[in-house]
Amino acid sequence: MTTTTAATTTSTTAPEPLLAVDGLSVAVASGARALVVDGVSLTVAPGECVGVVGESGSGKSLTMRAVAGLLPEGLDVTKGTVRLGGEEVLGLAPRARAALRGRRIALLMQDPFAMLHPQLTCGRQIADGLRGQGGRGRAVRAARRAEVERRLAEVGLEPSVADRYPHELSGGMLQRVATAAALAGDPDLLIADEPTTALDTATQAAVLDLLGRLRRERAMGLVLITHDLRVAFSACDRVHVLYAGTVVEHGPSHALRTAPRHPYTAALLASEPSARERRPRLTAVPGSVPAPGERGPGCPFADRCAFTAPACRTTPVALVPLAPATAGGAGTPAPRASASATDPGTSAPDPGLSGPHAADAGGRATACLRAAGLGPLDPPAGEAAADGAAGTGPETDDAALVVSDVGRRFGSAAGDRQVLADVSLTVPAGEVTALVGRSGSGKTTLARIAIGLETFDSGTVRTGPVDLPPGRRPSTADRRRLAGHAQIVFQDPYASLSPLRTVGATLREALDAARRGGRGDGAETVESLLAKVGLPERYAARRPAALSGGERQRVAVARALAARPRLLICDEAVAALDVSVQAQLLNLLDELRRDQGFAVLFITHDLAVVRQIADHVAVLHDGRIVETGPAARVLDAPGHPETRRLLAAVPAPR
Amino acid sequence: MTSPRALGRPRGLPGPSGLRPLTALSVLVAFLLLAASLFGQTLLPHWDAQDITAGARMPGGGHLLGTDELGRDIAQMVIAGARSTLTGAALVALGSMVIGNVLGLLAGYLGGWTDVLVRRWADLLLAVPALLVTLVVAGIGGGGWALAVCALIVLTSPSDIRLVRTAALEQRHLPYVEAAETLGLPGRTVMLRHIWPNTLPVVFANTLLNFAGAVVSLSSLSFLGLGVPPGAPDWGRMLSENRNLLWTNPSAALAPAVLIVLSAVVLNLLGDRVLEAFSKRGKS
Repeated sequence: MTTTTAATTTSTTAPEPLLAVDGLSVAVASGARALVVDGVSLTVAPGECVGVVGESGSGKSLTMRAVAGLLPEGLDVTKGTVRLGGEEVLGLAPRARAALRGRRIALLMQDPFAMLHPQLTCGRQIADGLRGQGGRGRAVRAARRAEVERRLAEVGLEPSVADRYPHELSGGMLQRVATAAALAGDPDLLIADEPTTALDTATQAAVLDLLGRLRRERAMGLVLITHDLRVAFSACDRVHVLYAGTVVEHGPSHALRTAPRHPYTAALLASEPSARERRPRLTAVPGSVPAPGERGPGCPFADRCAFTAPACRTTPVALVPLAPATAGGAGTPAPRASASATDPGTSAPDPGLSGPHAADAGGRATACLRAAGLGPLDPPAGEAAADGAAGTGPETDDAALVVSDVGRRFGSAAGDRQVLADVSLTVPAGEVTALVGRSGSGKTTLARIAIGLETFDSGTVRTGPVDLPPGRRPSTADRRRLAGHAQIVFQDPYASLSPLRTVGATLREALDAARRGGRGDGAETVESLLAKVGLPERYAARRPAALSGGERQRVAVARALAARPRLLICDEAVAALDVSVQAQLLNLLDELRRDQGFAVLFITHDLAVVRQIADHVAVLHDGRIVETGPAARVLDAPGHPETRRLLAAVPAPR
Repeated sequence: MTSPRALGRPRGLPGPSGLRPLTALSVLVAFLLLAASLFGQTLLPHWDAQDITAGARMPGGGHLLGTDELGRDIAQMVIAGARSTLTGAALVALGSMVIGNVLGLLAGYLGGWTDVLVRRWADLLLAVPALLVTLVVAGIGGGGWALAVCALIVLTSPSDIRLVRTAALEQRHLPYVEAAETLGLPGRTVMLRHIWPNTLPVVFANTLLNFAGAVVSLSSLSFLGLGVPPGAPDWGRMLSENRNLLWTNPSAALAPAVLIVLSAVVLNLLGDRVLEAFSKRGKS
């Protein structure tokens, strides 16, 4: 593991790091000039992988966009320096900065579909970034082609991919092509912004492996921006945890994972479900990240922290280096604290830190005032709750959903594709059944068939009391009966609610629909629904645009519960949320299910989430169910290779 | 998770706002035009007072823009003429909007045969040359303002139909629409309460653009003698009648011409601005 020395400008002995960001601040260009990024410092050495972790709104992407000179309109760098290979880049003219991109710094974005030009072949897009390969003539073209093929081989793709268009490739292959294109100019530093978030877990692991291998082979610096702690810890040497625009803690991955010294890091770790054991309840972090401009003078995390003392709200916090290890740690001075607002009372390295965990403290710093008093915080409790009751075995007569021998074929110009083949699945009443599989395995199609949004070709589907007809959409009467029995929560919180209607109007409509159908509970009101999902009454007057992703998903759950369904289908309902919010929602679903006794069909690609909430698991692979059983059994002793692959793909700490 | 759209302006932060000078000017001109078409003929009851002895005079002598061959005051006539030109254009834009909304929404939401029929109908109308058909219809029907407006409504509607259909299709499979369906709501409610309001921004902007186009089309028809009857105040008609005064009193032909161009440009600008504002709002 590389430990970068944070080179002070006067130091002549320490090698200049590849990238040195010091006290970088980004503010809104107009109005109150709220700080979106506030005094972030970090360094990256050649060949090192540094993780920048944080939830939405933490400023992680904006920090790295400022480094690359790609801040969106309306945001300005107000303070700080960015040195690339010893050269200050913030002061450069736009043209000179543009010349750095691709050659010195390259970016890899989240969505590979949006990153590549849809009308150019993959080879052309890689060739465009190559150095010194321009020009015409047969020989030049042949050389360029050979170089493109070499680059494709480097990212593990066949030469024939060069002639294909982006829409012909899968997400994982596209991310490889995008990587090859980003690396075409042989940059010294690659900034990867959530490069795996849009991919399913199995592909995710492969892309992370690829990035790790490339940076070692090329001795290239890699900054990995992610919201996923597991990804950061599995791939990075050092991790910086960002919260509300500031670094709250940084240090080597292992040290941060095993002995977090900032309550926020500890809280994030605790809200992360684990594929290995089930926790009695995920520790959710209450509330959400404060908006820029709404941060008080003290610690930005104070309002959500379990350890808040009165001083936390009033004293400005700064990164405090933790004492370096006395033995073996010589020559690794702690990185400088953020230059701004270093309070002498809090910045002195605390002698109490060189206790039993001192060995972990090499190159670490935390911005917690109470770090000394709190000591290393507990990593998530290892205690395992009893795994979900194995159930009494599926009983068909009171099952919430029975699917048998269902087939579905999608026709397209490229040829037919059997999306589902002879799928049989029973969701027992009142229990949680997880349907897992990688993207394209047909799990969403099955969910949509169960709720009548998609047709099926053959087999039978019985959702509660309703027998769905094959080959056509259910009739209006059937849809109405279906509505009283089953409801669905979709993945995308941003598209799940009608943008022009208030939350209250959306919920009232759902209640009215339930009442007209003679279902639901006459006493239920918009307010009681909001209370059920943990939202205050005043949210009824708000429009979706004024809600965070997690709050929108809560409203979507409330809407689904208006009809008092016996089956709730969650189609990747927590996949788009930050870990702390994901934990809140998983806890909420669990409580509601216990309280109201509905069954849940939980569709996900994340086996850690499955471990946390599911009683039963069905594994879908290429449109066929390859394994079913109690969640604990399937996860502890997977029988099918696909289940083992999915399990192996859950990022594991190194 | 950082969704792709979160990469833009952070939520809750203000963007550049306020009226740009050009937009403010456009709004002002639009108001003046509106006032002229509503109150012009009431405020100027003697707009058609003739004075043959003072025909075809250059501006001056109590006539701000001079007079035409019959000695009518050009300034008063262009104000009085705003009504037929602008109300006609407004009727064309609104009529086409109504047809477009009804057919486009049905086609986009119901799909299947409805969609095929509506699309074929729209394609057919788009395929025929609009002005030529209007000429033929006006020629057979004997011309007249009402006929010209009706013909233009029918011929403008396909673009609205297509636009609304596309917008409806875009919303059709969004989760919130599907959620409304799984609540057991009838199709009519899903269509009118959930899909339609979310197509309105583009519809509104397009209506302004149609209006601008109709000003020009109606003026061309009047210019060709197929719009308003002779003697009526109308910009297109004035343009055609006063052509031969171009050397004696140029403002008699230029004033209506300038107004036609001005109203078309102003409404195009406003339409663009509205569309821009809505697309920005959708992104944040």
